[in-house]
Amino acid sequence: MIGRIVSQLASEDPTVTHNWLLPETAEIIYGGLSSLLVFGLLYKFAGPVAKKAMAARTERIQKELDGAAQARTVSESDAAEIRKALGDIDTERSRLLAEADVDAAALIADGRVRIASEIADLESKATADLTAARGRGTEELRAEIALLASLAVPSVVQATLTDQTKQELIEAFIASVGASR
Amino acid sequence: MSNAGIEAYARALFEIAQAEGNIDVVENELFRMARAFESNEQLRSTLTDATIPSERRQGIIDQLLGGKACNTTTQLVSLVVGSGRSRELPAIIDMLVKRASSEKKLEVAEVRSAVELTDDQHKRLAAALTIATGKQVSLKVVVDPTVMGGLVATVGDEVIDDTVRTRLEQLKSRI
Repeated sequence: MIGRIVSQLASEDPTVTHNWLLPETAEIIYGGLSSLLVFGLLYKFAGPVAKKAMAARTERIQKELDGAAQARTVSESDAAEIRKALGDIDTERSRLLAEADVDAAALIADGRVRIASEIADLESKATADLTAARGRGTEELRAEIALLASLAVPSVVQATLTDQTKQELIEAFIASVGASR
Repeated sequence: MSNAGIEAYARALFEIAQAEGNIDVVENELFRMARAFESNEQLRSTLTDATIPSERRQGIIDQLLGGKACNTTTQLVSLVVGSGRSRELPAIIDMLVKRASSEKKLEVAEVRSAVELTDDQHKRLAAALTIATGKQVSLKVVVDPTVMGGLVATVGDEVIDDTVRTRLEQLKSRI
């Protein structure tokens, strides 16, 4: 058969086709076989690689999808937390404001009490100082008078001691000593 | 100077005055001289100044006592000053006075007064002090204007003080 085909092919003009659309039969056969061979080889050698690449791609896409889903979950969780935190901040702010109000009220009350106490202390200290100063002034005045008197008395006495007085004092001394036993 | 030295000088002066026969007068004059020496800073510093020659210091004594005290008194003071014992003059004189009083069995009564006492007051005061102390006293009167008025008598350790000065001091301390 092959020989007949070869002889037939040899007898025909290779530059002229038998059909305007279809190729030559042999060409179809060879082309078909070659295609089958190529497809077979591709299936055998490139198939697993392609299959593996597809599986890897699928896995990667799945992973990305999973990551996206996880990110979405995390984001939703974060958003929930943020929303919750916002709520907490409002509560905390209210609590802090309330505490600040209480503290301020306590501080004002304490301040009033302390100021009242300090004023009372200052008044009592001022009163004590005044009393002490008055006492000191009296003492100083007394000391001053005593000093002046002690300075003045000898001069006054000296001026008033006449000879007659001196004689009288001598006589009084003699009389008192003589009468002492 | 030691006590023995002072006593030796006092004994010597006493014996000289006794030999001269005017111990009472000399004793009184020496006593007054001693009190003047104690109270007068200028006199004391002049008579104890070692830079002044002893002849000059004796000359001062002569000028000071000449005509006011008897010769014996002047010579005795001059003797002490000339021997360089001016600083001990009051102690020597006090010892002499004590010895003289002791010879007469008398206790020295030092009386300070602002003015001189009359003879009558002198006698009456001596009698009064004899009564008050129970001892026969030899009265030595020192005129001391600082007492201002009244008298202060010292007989041994006993002091009878009724001076204006003391009363003023008491008044001052009370004030």
